[in-house]
Amino acid sequence: MPWSNQGGGPWGSGPKGPWGSGSSPSGSSPPDLEDLLRRGQDKLRNVLPGGSFSGTGVLLITLIAIALWLSSGIFQVAPDERGLVMRFGKFNRIADPGLSYHLPYPVESVEIPKVTRVTAISIGVRLVEDSRRGTQTRDVPEESLMLTGDENIVDVDFTVFWLVAAGTSGVTDFRFNMQNPEGTVKAVAESAMREVIGRSELEPVLTGGRQRIETEVHDLVQKTLDQYKSGITVSQVQMLKVEAPAQVIDAFRDVQAAQADQERVQNEARTYAGRVVPEARGRAAQLLQSAEAYREQTVAEATGQTARFNKIYDEYKKAPDVTRQRLYLETMERLFGGTDKIILDSAGQGSGGVVPYLPLPELRSRPPAQPSQTTTGGNR
Amino acid sequence: MKFNFVGAVVVAAVAVLVVAYLSLFTVYQTKQALVVRLGDPIRIITEPGLHVKVPFIDTVIPIDNRILDLENAAQEVFASDQRRLVIDAFARYRITDALRFYQTVSNIEGANSRLSSLLNAALRRVLGEATLIHVVRDERAVLMGRVRDQLDREARAFGIEVVDVRIRRADLPEQNSQAVYQRMQTERQRQAASIRGEGSQKSQEIRAKADRDVTVLVAEAQSRAEQIRGEGDAERNRIFAEAYTKDPDFFAFYRSMQAYEAGLRANDTRLVLRPDSDFFKYFGNPAGRETPKEAPKAAAQ
Repeated sequence: MPWSNQGGGPWGSGPKGPWGSGSSPSGSSPPDLEDLLRRGQDKLRNVLPGGSFSGTGVLLITLIAIALWLSSGIFQVAPDERGLVMRFGKFNRIADPGLSYHLPYPVESVEIPKVTRVTAISIGVRLVEDSRRGTQTRDVPEESLMLTGDENIVDVDFTVFWLVAAGTSGVTDFRFNMQNPEGTVKAVAESAMREVIGRSELEPVLTGGRQRIETEVHDLVQKTLDQYKSGITVSQVQMLKVEAPAQVIDAFRDVQAAQADQERVQNEARTYAGRVVPEARGRAAQLLQSAEAYREQTVAEATGQTARFNKIYDEYKKAPDVTRQRLYLETMERLFGGTDKIILDSAGQGSGGVVPYLPLPELRSRPPAQPSQTTTGGNR
Repeated sequence: MKFNFVGAVVVAAVAVLVVAYLSLFTVYQTKQALVVRLGDPIRIITEPGLHVKVPFIDTVIPIDNRILDLENAAQEVFASDQRRLVIDAFARYRITDALRFYQTVSNIEGANSRLSSLLNAALRRVLGEATLIHVVRDERAVLMGRVRDQLDREARAFGIEVVDVRIRRADLPEQNSQAVYQRMQTERQRQAASIRGEGSQKSQEIRAKADRDVTVLVAEAQSRAEQIRGEGDAERNRIFAEAYTKDPDFFAFYRSMQAYEAGLRANDTRLVLRPDSDFFKYFGNPAGRETPKEAPKAAAQ
């Protein structure tokens, strides 16, 4: 033992040594161990009188070493892990969560991967750890822009969620069958998405086809990964963003705006129709009502006038001449009562030689000109 | 004596360990191994676990047994319709013949560079026979399978089995993409314009229909109204006729009286009268005058 030979070595240098400078009450531990060993040897010498001190000591140390060696095979597996016991590098058995044992090195070793965690791989947008740009969310157009079957370009971001397949074969396939399972999932997912988008046309991709595409991509990725025996289960393919590329997104939005415009102008027209047609109905009703009113008024007037005539006629029949005369005179009385009159004696006319002068223009100009009304009083 | 015995045991044990260390080796689960004796490959070990070799003269070369990655840089390929495509493909392969692999390409880097150029050639060959739309849409899976088969055949020479070749990206080159964007844009603009036009068409239709309805409604109402007025007039005529035919002579007189009164109103009428009319019968002669009746002459303005 090299350290025991060096009395003045760093271990024995007392409180000034690097290990002894602490406040441990019984001094540094290596001298303690040495002391213990020596004492143990003494005891052994007492227990086995006359026995070989060196032989038994070596044996004991060997036994302890073997015990330590054997106990190094104890290991623990957490609930989200599985233990893979390798015997001389060859997979031997799987250890479920709990405390397990494997033969110590170099016969067996254990690998304990996490197997229940769901890993997400985002394609088209992701956190980039790049020394030049730093860690940040970044759109990756070379991943997200893809050709559709009708030779348009669409911008698709999506995430693939995957985990190690259940069962022993899932863990071992995942662990031993592929050089780069994570990278393969990403590459296959990208390829599958482009294949599926390539089979579709732009319109359905942008509008309703999300669910179908997710399912198709999921199936295609899973099929390919199964073909590789990768031990990976794809739990979900989720499309994050499906839209027209940034260069043309305005034109696409304008189409939506146009659709809104179309509805708007139609609604405006409907509003107009909704206003104008009832108004016209109102006008029609008004016309009809006023016509009805006219009819009733006319009939009523006629009835009234004939009733008056009948009454007067009844009286007239009793004394026709007198009544006729009276009516004539009364009418003339009222008529002449209100009008300007000029009476020319007919005696002077013809024989007297005096021609009466009537200044008609003057007469005509005196009252304000009014159109002559010749209504007979019966027409409305 | 005792010391010597123990010493001998220790020496023997150490010797055994050294020999074991030199002559035993392990092959890990993901590996296969090639045992080379003085440069001459003598054994291929495909089974992982503990194996024996001759110390010093045998060397062990571990070779990967897993499915390996081959990522290919994007390259431009001409489709059969002379359109360019940027193809980014990847392959997955497995070393099936370690000896041949070791002899031809010696390690994975060497294999990758050889496979990469083979993959490019195969892609050019296979995709060059297909049109762009076949590559993108119709026969992608078939073409990928064909590339895989060709690459697999060629890679056999390196002891490699190609598990799969997949086209990761098949895109148009940048300038063609710009053309596509322009087409998409103009297409959308056309679409937007046609939607707007359709909207204004429908709007016009709705308005025109409304205007028509208005006109028709009013016209029908007017027609009906005239009819009603006519009915009123007819009724009036009937009533008058019924009453006045009882005594047409009196009616004429009576109606004339009414007409004079209504027609010759005050203020706008000036009468020039002769005093020998019937009205003036007693004007100059209280006993009355025997003159023929003459209606007063009216000068109505």
